[in-house]
Amino acid sequence: MKREFFTMILLAGLISLACTTRVSEWVLINSLPTEYTLVYFHSGPLSETVKKQNQALAESIKTANIRFKEVNRPEINKSYFELYYKGRSFSTYQTRDELTGITTSPMRRDIAAELMAGKLCVIVFLKTDDSKKDDKGLNALHNAVGSSPFGNIITVVELSRSSREESHLASLLLNVEDDLKGIREPMVFGVFGRFKALEPLVGKGISEENIHLMIDYFTAECSCLIKDDLPGTDILFAGKWENPQPALLNAIIDANPILGK
Amino acid sequence: MNPDSLSYDTLEERPLPKWLIDQKSGRNTIQPEKIVVKEDHSLTITFIATFGLIILVVALWALYLIRKHKKKGL
Repeated sequence: MKREFFTMILLAGLISLACTTRVSEWVLINSLPTEYTLVYFHSGPLSETVKKQNQALAESIKTANIRFKEVNRPEINKSYFELYYKGRSFSTYQTRDELTGITTSPMRRDIAAELMAGKLCVIVFLKTDDSKKDDKGLNALHNAVGSSPFGNIITVVELSRSSREESHLASLLLNVEDDLKGIREPMVFGVFGRFKALEPLVGKGISEENIHLMIDYFTAECSCLIKDDLPGTDILFAGKWENPQPALLNAIIDANPILGK
Repeated sequence: MNPDSLSYDTLEERPLPKWLIDQKSGRNTIQPEKIVVKEDHSLTITFIATFGLIILVVALWALYLIRKHKKKGL
């Protein structure tokens, strides 16, 4: 009887703790990234060389949230690779060289390091390389982050959509929604958890008000509505997500409880 | 939606992300339990029940007394 009583008290304590965890921290600790599928489409039997190359490829990407598979399609003339996320085609690659760096890149490593260090989120500003459009959005972004009480725990990074080094990251971000590739406007992606990118603010949507709402989303108490229906797309990344640093957000809210309301 | 063909005419008409709409409307936040004040009819029901019971007892008693007097008269 005594043991059952203590178990109930412990469970109640855990439940009450779970309800006060903030969205950013809850997602980082609990939400596993969705897997991509990289498919090698080919026609007919595979040669030994191709089999070995595919094995090496599968080995090189196995630490990321991706799985590799081969599909025989007799009707095609030339083999190619296609990347899928939740059944949706993201990109096709005609050669193996195009897959170089598909699971990691310097900017992705930096963003992951910030998230693991306990930062609230990383805001990625995807530039159009039209300075007139970009400057307006960047001003709104910097003003909003600068005036936020959580500004110190938010990292802002800028990414050019024409960057060669980060071409895979730019492509993945432009696939967060299926119409983004056709929009030549700056975009703001809130990245949190284990590299989950929220659907972006686009063009005129990059306003101080909307950026504050994005920050509010990350700092909110993790309601069941959010847990059951997490927005965003998991970005492809070979990262280790064990033992993240405690969320820096908690210290700010502990010092100023009114900010957590 | 096809990546190369927008289903809306202008970017202004493009729908906002769901998380932003939910955040604006406050749907994402934990809602305090709503206390609904229900109409309380218990007092009326008690009065009616008590009144009915009294009428029933008086009627039965009267019936009993009438029968008793009738028997005595016979």
